[in-house]
Amino acid sequence: MVEVVPKLVVDGLTKRFASTEALSRIDTEVKAGEFISIVGPSGCGKTTFLRIVSGLEQATTGEIRLDGAAVTRPGSDRGFVFQQDNLLPWLTIMDNAMIGPEIGGFASPERRRATQALLKLVGLEGFERHYPRQLSGGMRQRVNLARALAIDPEILLMDEPFSALDAQTREIMQTELLRIWEEGRKTVLFVTHQIDEAVFLSDRVFVFARRPGRLQEIIDIDLPRPRPLSIKRTPAFIALVDRIWTLIEHEVRASVMEELA
Amino acid sequence: MTVNLSVATSSDGAGLRASPVLLRPFARLSRVGWSLGSVIGGFALWEIASRFLIANKLFLAAPSQIVMAIVALFERGQLMRHIAASASEFVLGYLAASVAGILIGILLANSTVAKQVLQPWISGLYATPTIALAPLFILWLGIGISSKVVMVVTLVVFPVIINTEAGLRTTPNELVEMVRCFGASRRQVFLRVALPSALPFIFAGLKLGIGRGLIGVVVAELFGSRAGVGQIISQAADAFNMPQLFAGVIILAVAGVGLTAAFGWLEGRLLHWKD
Ligand SMILES: Nc1ncnc2c1ncn2[C@@H]1O[C@H](COP(=O)(O)OP(=O)(O)O)[C@@H](O)[C@H]1O
Ligand SMILES: [Mg+2]
Repeated sequence: MVEVVPKLVVDGLTKRFASTEALSRIDTEVKAGEFISIVGPSGCGKTTFLRIVSGLEQATTGEIRLDGAAVTRPGSDRGFVFQQDNLLPWLTIMDNAMIGPEIGGFASPERRRATQALLKLVGLEGFERHYPRQLSGGMRQRVNLARALAIDPEILLMDEPFSALDAQTREIMQTELLRIWEEGRKTVLFVTHQIDEAVFLSDRVFVFARRPGRLQEIIDIDLPRPRPLSIKRTPAFIALVDRIWTLIEHEVRASVMEELA
Repeated sequence: MTVNLSVATSSDGAGLRASPVLLRPFARLSRVGWSLGSVIGGFALWEIASRFLIANKLFLAAPSQIVMAIVALFERGQLMRHIAASASEFVLGYLAASVAGILIGILLANSTVAKQVLQPWISGLYATPTIALAPLFILWLGIGISSKVVMVVTLVVFPVIINTEAGLRTTPNELVEMVRCFGASRRQVFLRVALPSALPFIFAGLKLGIGRGLIGVVVAELFGSRAGVGQIISQAADAFNMPQLFAGVIILAVAGVGLTAAFGWLEGRLLHWKD
C-alpha cells in the first residue's frame, strides 16, 4: 500500500500573544478530503489556529505545511469562511462571490461561470444581482461559503460559520454543507462550539483545551455517510456527543465561571 | 438524502423586505402636499405682510416684486452674466477643494506623521470662521475671480478633509481582513474596501461644502467684485432697491436647494447599496 501524503501538516506550532500562550506545541496531520471539526471552550485558540493556517497570523514557533510547502501568508489555496459574513455591502452577490478571483487576478469568464454554478449550488440562483442588505442572515452565510469556494481552494477554513443562524436554518445549512462537500471533497477545518454539529459533519473531531491552548484529543467519527439529519437521534451519535462533552465539560465550566467573575 | 432547497431559501427569504406597497403613494402624496402647502402659504403670508402690514418699501419686498426684479435683470441681460460669474467661481473653487480635500484626507489616513503635523492646523482652521478672511483675499488677489475661488476653497476643503479621513479611518477591520485573506495588497485593500466604505462620509463632507462654498462666493463678492450674485445684492443695498436685493437672495436659495437636491440624487445613485 502506498502511504497517503498528508494535505496539511501542523509541526510544533506555538503561538504567543504578549503574555498569553494561545497555542502550545500542536503536532498533527490532516489527509486530503478529510472533514475535521475543532471544538473546545472559548479562548482555547481555535480562531488563532485557523488564522495561522490561513496565513493571516504568523506562528511564534513551528510551522504549517500545505501540500509540503510552508504557509507564510494568505493564498488562494485556502478559502476562509468567516463567522460574520463580511460581505462588501456595495457589491452585488455575484461580485462578492468573485472577490477572491478579482483580487488574485484570475477572474476569467470561465471563473465567472464556475462561480455562478457555485451560487446555484448554495441555493442562491437568481440572487446574483441582489445586494447583501436584501438577503437574510442564512442567505448571506451561503454567499460567504460560495465566496470561499470560488477560488477553488485546496482547503476550506470555517470559523463558527453557522453560529449567528437560528437553529432551523443552522440544521439546513449543515446538511447543505455536507452535500456540497460530498461533491467536491475539499479538505475542511471547521470550528464550532456545538458538539453535535461537529459530530454530524466530521470524519474526525479535534478537541482543544485551554491554558495553554492545545490539541487535547482526536475523536474518530465512524458514522456512515451520507448522513441524514435523523442520524442525530441514533445511540451511536449520542454516545459520541457524550464522549466529547465529557472531555471538555470541566474546561467549559471553568471558562464560563471565569467570564462571570 | 436530498434536501429540499426551496424550503431552505423561502424560510430565510423572509428577510427580503416587505413593505406596505398599497399605502406608499398616499403617504407620499400627503408628505409632498404638506410641504408644498407650507411653502405656498409662507410666500402668500409674505406677500400679504409686505403689501398691507409693512408699508415701508425700504424694509421688505413682496414676492411679486422680487419676481419682477428677476425678470427685469434677465431682460437687461444682467442676470445671466452675474450668475455665470458666481457659478464659475463656485465650480472652480468647489472642484479644487473636493479633489484637494479627498487627497489630503487620504494622506492623513495613511500617514501618522502627516496626521500629527497637519491635524492641529486642520481642526483649527475648520473651527475658525475663515469667511472673515474674505477682505484679506481681496486685498491680496484683487476683485477678480481668483479671490473668490480661494475663499471657496478655504471654506470647502476642511469638511472634505475631515470627513474623508474619518471615513477611511473607520473602515471595518473585518472587511479588511476578509480581502487580506484573499491575498489583497495594500493598494487593493485601499481601492476595494477602504475607499468604497468611506464614500458615504466623503459625500457628507462634499454636501456640507455646498452651503459653505455658496456663502464664500457671495461674501467675497460683497466685499468687492466686477460681477456676481453678491454684487447684485451689494448694488441693490447701496441703492435701497429691496426687490433686487431679495432677488439676489432668492437666486442663492434656489442654487443651494438645487445643488443639494442634485447631490442627493447622485448620492442615491452611487450609494444605493446603503439602507
Ligand atoms: N490579536 C490578539 N492579541 C492578543 N491576544 C489574542 C489575540 N487573538 C487572540 N488572543 C488570545 O488568544 C487566546 C485564544 O483566542 P481565540 O483563538 O480567539 O480563541 P477561540 O477562538 O478558541 O475562542 C485568547 O486568550 C485570546 O484572548
Ligand atoms: Mg473564536
